[in-house]
Amino acid sequence: MGEKENIKRLLQEAELYKGQGLLNEARLKYDEVSDLVRNNPKIKNKQKLLAGLAKKINLLEVDTQKVEKGPSSPELSSRAQDLIQQLFSFSQEESEEEAALEGALALAKFGQFERALAEFDNLLSNEAHRVVAAKNILRCHIALSSEEKAADIYEKWAKGDTFSADQLEKLRVFMEQVLENKGVDRKLTVIGTKAKAVVEEKKEEEFIDISAIGIYLDSGPSKGKVVEFDVNFQSGNLLSLIISKRDGKMIEHLEVNNELEDLQFYSPIAIFNGSGLVAAKSEIQSGPKQGDYCLDIKITST
Amino acid sequence: MAIFNLKKREIECKVVYYGPGRGGKTTNLEYIFKTFRKQITGEMVSINTEGDRTLFFDFLPMGLGKIKGCEIKVQLYTVPGQVQYSSTRKLVLRGVDGIVFVADSLEVRREKNMLSLKDLQANLKEYGLNIFKVPLVLQYNKRDLGEQGIPLMSIEQMDQDLNRQLKVPSFPGSALKGDGVGVALKECTKLTLKSLQRELKWAQ
Repeated sequence: MGEKENIKRLLQEAELYKGQGLLNEARLKYDEVSDLVRNNPKIKNKQKLLAGLAKKINLLEVDTQKVEKGPSSPELSSRAQDLIQQLFSFSQEESEEEAALEGALALAKFGQFERALAEFDNLLSNEAHRVVAAKNILRCHIALSSEEKAADIYEKWAKGDTFSADQLEKLRVFMEQVLENKGVDRKLTVIGTKAKAVVEEKKEEEFIDISAIGIYLDSGPSKGKVVEFDVNFQSGNLLSLIISKRDGKMIEHLEVNNELEDLQFYSPIAIFNGSGLVAAKSEIQSGPKQGDYCLDIKITST
Repeated sequence: MAIFNLKKREIECKVVYYGPGRGGKTTNLEYIFKTFRKQITGEMVSINTEGDRTLFFDFLPMGLGKIKGCEIKVQLYTVPGQVQYSSTRKLVLRGVDGIVFVADSLEVRREKNMLSLKDLQANLKEYGLNIFKVPLVLQYNKRDLGEQGIPLMSIEQMDQDLNRQLKVPSFPGSALKGDGVGVALKECTKLTLKSLQRELKWAQ
């Protein structure tokens, strides 16, 4: 195939990928064409061609940014919110309250915080789900406005009679950990005794909130060291960590299903040891954290 | 997990379209919505973001009629394919009964197909499901683009990459034109109902 045909073919590919929304693939093809044009002395009007290609690449970058900066959680119509609530209430057959909690959690997960707040508020009247609903109300307020606002809500609860002293203590421990992680210097009103709440928290919840994890690395540039990472998200015994691309080499050798011994878990209550396994590892392909890694660790024993 | 309503003699199961971003999962559902009007029992719901990317999921309810006195309802879902929507994918996958994995035939998407299949396996495992046991079919989408001279993987290569160990039914397709859409869905629902029949013993 001649150079001219090759360029024509690559351009056709680039246009098609762009049409398919495969923006990175389109960009790579335009780059390939630019290199071919730049390095071929026989091509006439080289500067004009290169300028045309640069324009196309710029437009692609604008599209890519639009995609990456698009609303991560737009406010949906109430019909769509009803559907989410209905479709993701998995326990409808077993327990209405459990289903209501699942529906509210799904709404929050899909970024429908205002509606989720209303649903969690309703759940505060349910003794069995009160603390979980309250923690999620605080999470929703953090997502909607700020940690300070969530702390204000806690203080309002502390003055009211919706929660028992033990329940408030659980919420205080949870909220103070959030504030500490975010670097917010604010002390919350203590109601009841700290120790009792902590013991009950451990009994009631199989996995307490873990804020950071120390991993003993037996390979890579940090071999023989314990490296600490913040926990970005926790769902029961599954911890999700976002690891900066700078630290990528440290976890390069970790593969899915690798068992991790000698893990250190840092919680608001205590530091404890345990083991886990790598549940998932992936590189973030786009957005502000592009190139960083997402590592999921499942706690197997503590 | 399918819902078996004994009183109403009704089974409702969940089929999820999984695969890499921009691979054609939503296009599959759109084609089904357009073409199988008789079986569609409600509106198709899509929640998209910039560039028509699925943000949360698409949803399409279908009715398949009666089998051995039982009304069969199928809820079709798609997941968002973009890597960053991992937690949404996992949530949509909860309670899945059957899966259509929509792979992209474009050569440049080879690695993304494999990563997405690996992601599916990991997410199923989280729910205690085994990819080798769950009702699953593969659709090798965008075959029509070969006519435009765009480099595609051969069916053999895609089978080698994605189906060497799984050995599940696979279908070449073009969701845009409708090729391989109905047959993949039919095979997936057949496998799903067989699996539910074994599990719930409803048609014995």
